[in-house]
Amino acid sequence: MNGMVAVYRKELLSYFRSPIAYFVLAVFLVGTGYFFTYNMFMTGSGSMTETFRNMGILLLTVSPLVSMRLFAGEYSGRTMELLMTLPLKPWEVVLGKFLGAVTILLLMTAGTLIDLVPLYLFGNPQTTTIIAGYIGFVLLGMACLAVGQFFSALTHNQIVAALITVPVLLSFWFIGYLQIFQNSYALRSLFGYLSFAFHFADFVQGLIRTEGVTFFVIVSAIALTLNASYLQWRR
Amino acid sequence: MTSPHSAIALESVSKRYGSKTIIRDVSFTVQKGEIVGFLGPNGAGKTTTMRMIAGFTTASSGRVTVAGYDMATHNQDAAHKIGYLPEHPPLYDMLDVSQYLRFVARTKGVRRSEIRSELDRVAAACRLEAVRDREIYKLSKGYRQRVGLAQALLGKPEVLLLDEPTAGLDPGQIQETREVIRSFGEQHAVLLSTHILSEVTLICRRVAIINQGRLLAIDSPNGLQRASEQTSRVTLTATAPADALRSELLSLAGVLGVAIQEVPGYPRMLNVECQTDAREGVEAAIARAVAGRWDLHRLERQQPTLENIFLRYVSQAPGEVTAP
Repeated sequence: MNGMVAVYRKELLSYFRSPIAYFVLAVFLVGTGYFFTYNMFMTGSGSMTETFRNMGILLLTVSPLVSMRLFAGEYSGRTMELLMTLPLKPWEVVLGKFLGAVTILLLMTAGTLIDLVPLYLFGNPQTTTIIAGYIGFVLLGMACLAVGQFFSALTHNQIVAALITVPVLLSFWFIGYLQIFQNSYALRSLFGYLSFAFHFADFVQGLIRTEGVTFFVIVSAIALTLNASYLQWRR
Repeated sequence: MTSPHSAIALESVSKRYGSKTIIRDVSFTVQKGEIVGFLGPNGAGKTTTMRMIAGFTTASSGRVTVAGYDMATHNQDAAHKIGYLPEHPPLYDMLDVSQYLRFVARTKGVRRSEIRSELDRVAAACRLEAVRDREIYKLSKGYRQRVGLAQALLGKPEVLLLDEPTAGLDPGQIQETREVIRSFGEQHAVLLSTHILSEVTLICRRVAIINQGRLLAIDSPNGLQRASEQTSRVTLTATAPADALRSELLSLAGVLGVAIQEVPGYPRMLNVECQTDAREGVEAAIARAVAGRWDLHRLERQQPTLENIFLRYVSQAPGEVTAP
């Protein structure tokens, strides 16, 4: 446990000692701000629904920038040898890093709260729907980061890590839309169940479904477990 | 279990990557309070062996124990007892020196109340006081190496594994780093890999020579020298008739061969090189025989240097190796 906390603190320090965290936060907040302004003032929608959808897609492309350095950076900085020989269990390393990345995600999320000010001033939003949307957004982000972190452990090159992660996340996002091409009921349900987009859409509509929550939690858990087993296997 | 005194013990350890065997059947021990030099040319298997002891990779066969813990099954327990400086110091460039050391101290389970004093201790031992608040990427190579060393010392580990700690440093830095390492010898078991021979004679009590994944010899530097002195050479300069000198020398017990050269410009003065066997007192017998009849100007016994011993070991084909 102490080891995990130590890794977590180191990750946070590293994020804010390099330009990455600031860059990612800036890109994400500018993007979200643009979508929000567009949705609010151009289409005159008084809810966060559209903005959440846009944030979801934006997150798919931005989260690999957060996760790519987690292990690839350790390899290329030749610090992996230290990390693997310190008295740290693989899960402590994996979870410490994951929580570090999730903290960046939470900061990104917190930054978008400013959008709520004009929303409540000029619109008549449903608070419960917004809360559900934010929960869904954070869960989606956790799954994306966990997947990205796993791919980061597979390569020594951060760019490669990001380049593998983006298409994988996009496939998970869009796989639900393949449903219309399927005749078989089983395949249709499978594609629907695997879809990041469909599960996220429930949250955005204000539905916090057990199915959706477990889905994102399970995806994260599988990715993190694979990650830890891979580290163990590498020895 | 190994004896309670072996800080590091390798029992017929091998490491294979696919069909390639990197380490073959290596066994040795390092005791607490000694510095053992691990000597071999580049690519001999030093780093792989270090990594197996540190727990970064596992042995394909054989057993590695550190502080009594089997690295195959109890590497987490052993990790608390190991300070490891890999070949490239594993530093987080963006952190300050003290942030970095604090991170390592925490993972090693140094108590919160003791972290500050522990940091002071290693910073003093590695002479880092001046750079503690500097970002690591701004440090010179010598300082980087010493930050790596400081990291290894945190938590007072029983075993220190130092992989080429002086590589790439300038002579002044090498000198300082050696002083630092020498001062560790009493409290830790130190395994120090290097390809610099003088380093070994200066700071190590014992030397292990490794080449092509095989341990060729492990002994004190003096022991290695003695073992390789099965034949040695005595050279002398004397003023004497060449033929009489030659037959006189060859009549002595222990002298195997004699080569005589005239000293240019000095009539009747001769440089003589005698091949002798390893028996005691042979040079004294030569000195008595020559000085009794002629003028003896100089006589010395040529000690084989560690350099020659090392070269002899590593140039031997694997089949003809005999451990001394």
